Amino acid sequence: MRLILEVWRQDGPQAQGRFETHEITDATPEMSLLELLDRLNHQLVEQDQDPVAFESDCREGICGTCGIDINGVPHGPEDNVPACGQHVRSFHDGQTVRIAPFRAKSFPVIRDLIVDRTGLDRIIQAGGTVAVDAGTAPDADTIRITHHDAEEALDFAACIGCGACVSACPNGAAYLFTGAKLAHLRLIPAAQQERSKRARSMVAQMEQEFGPCSQIGECALACPAKIPLRAIAAVNRERIRAGFRSRSKEN
Amino acid sequence: MAVTGSVFVAFLLFHMAGNLKVYLPDAELHFNEYAHWLRGFLNPLLPGSSFLWAFRAVIALCLVLHVYAGTTIFFRARVARGGFGRAITAKWHALTGRTMIWTGLIILCFIIFHLLDLTVGAKGVASKSFSGKATYTLEDGEVVTNAYQNLIGSFERPAVAAFYIITMVLIAIHLSHGIWSIINDFGGTASRTRSVFLVLAGLIALVIVIGNASIPLAVLAGVIS
Ligand code: HEM
Ligand code: FES
Repeated sequence: MRLILEVWRQDGPQAQGRFETHEITDATPEMSLLELLDRLNHQLVEQDQDPVAFESDCREGICGTCGIDINGVPHGPEDNVPACGQHVRSFHDGQTVRIAPFRAKSFPVIRDLIVDRTGLDRIIQAGGTVAVDAGTAPDADTIRITHHDAEEALDFAACIGCGACVSACPNGAAYLFTGAKLAHLRLIPAAQQERSKRARSMVAQMEQEFGPCSQIGECALACPAKIPLRAIAAVNRERIRAGFRSRSKEN
Repeated sequence: MAVTGSVFVAFLLFHMAGNLKVYLPDAELHFNEYAHWLRGFLNPLLPGSSFLWAFRAVIALCLVLHVYAGTTIFFRARVARGGFGRAITAKWHALTGRTMIWTGLIILCFIIFHLLDLTVGAKGVASKSFSGKATYTLEDGEVVTNAYQNLIGSFERPAVAAFYIITMVLIAIHLSHGIWSIINDFGGTASRTRSVFLVLAGLIALVIVIGNASIPLAVLAGVIS
């Protein structure tokens, strides 16, 4: 397969970025998008040019490092699949594919396709670790959690923190991300003791760096972990709940 | 947003129910009676038209807060987006959600026009036949303004009728996303409640556009006069 790649090149955070056009003549349908970039880099190195900087680690949808925008869509044309799991077979022979870094004010470009996503880390840090002294490990079944709650918590815990929701959002909001964390932790017995404290600080941190939510719904389509749109309502739910509780209360 | 928006939705439904009195037999009487009743609502408790004024104050306050919150969201979103475009997808809530500010601003223009047209009767906006004077006699002998004739007079102008109809469509679009947003803003995470709101959003939007836009259409078609 022949593909025309328009790839974002940017030498550093302050440098002016630009799209560079390259042709790949030997792409195969079963290649992943990251393998396509590997192929391109191979070609660039052979031509004595700088390879395109991009992030990846697990290449199987677990780590969340591989975020890129493909033709303006985070991760690529298939809904709910990370870039490392998207394939060249989504494109037709001769198609032009535009590859850009994740796009948002809160995600400044470090180099080429790599962006600084530490804004998301700061939301997690604001939430803190679960600082409750839980003593020694309790006996099995002494702390009850229903099957439904456990499953629900796990569904929200599936977030891999890739940042696709922010890049997908026309408002540059991080509600899906923050909501997934809050919805996950509110169901865990040990974490419940800091439920409203966590909601206050995580939401405040989120509002500082990210945009407001308008319920547009692009985030949930882009999410490779299939976090449902309900997560954004969890942000408001936890915020409202914490607002009704006395500031001196942590739970 | 969600609180003020919900107040508007309640108001719109109530207002539409009143408007639909134009379809009753003896419409002129019922409609003028309704307009008069609205002015004197809770009269024994509150003097004169104080209810109407209190009501107007609440709606006006909601409008100011709603427009303020809406524009704040719009500008915060633009900053957070960081100047990067995002392709408009064909999905309904992506389209309606991203155009809230524009449908909202046109609605704002409409609200001003509507007040000048049918409440104030401003020169150049209201129809030539508009009259703010009490000329219509109710069954109990009381003489009130003929709100009914003012409405008909206004809608007999095709351009004005078209503006009303187009705005009703825009309000429906604004609401189909707005009502869906309410459940998110109030933190409704339960799947069933959310589905209910999604259906409700579409239904209320449809009811409002059909109920209200049919009136100028009916006037133009000569069904009511
Ligand atoms: C008939 C009048 C109106 C009704 C019934 C109405 C209703 C609503 C509702 C129910 C919402 C959802 C609130 C939420 O987020 O939960 C909303 C949102 C919004 N309204 Fe209105 N509205 C009206 C007029 C206006 C006007 C005059 C503006 C002028 C700017 C406006 C701008 C907006 C904006 C920008 C949003 C979206 C905020 C967001 O992105 O979440 N609306 N409206
Ligand atoms: S490389 Fe780990 S999720 Fe894609």
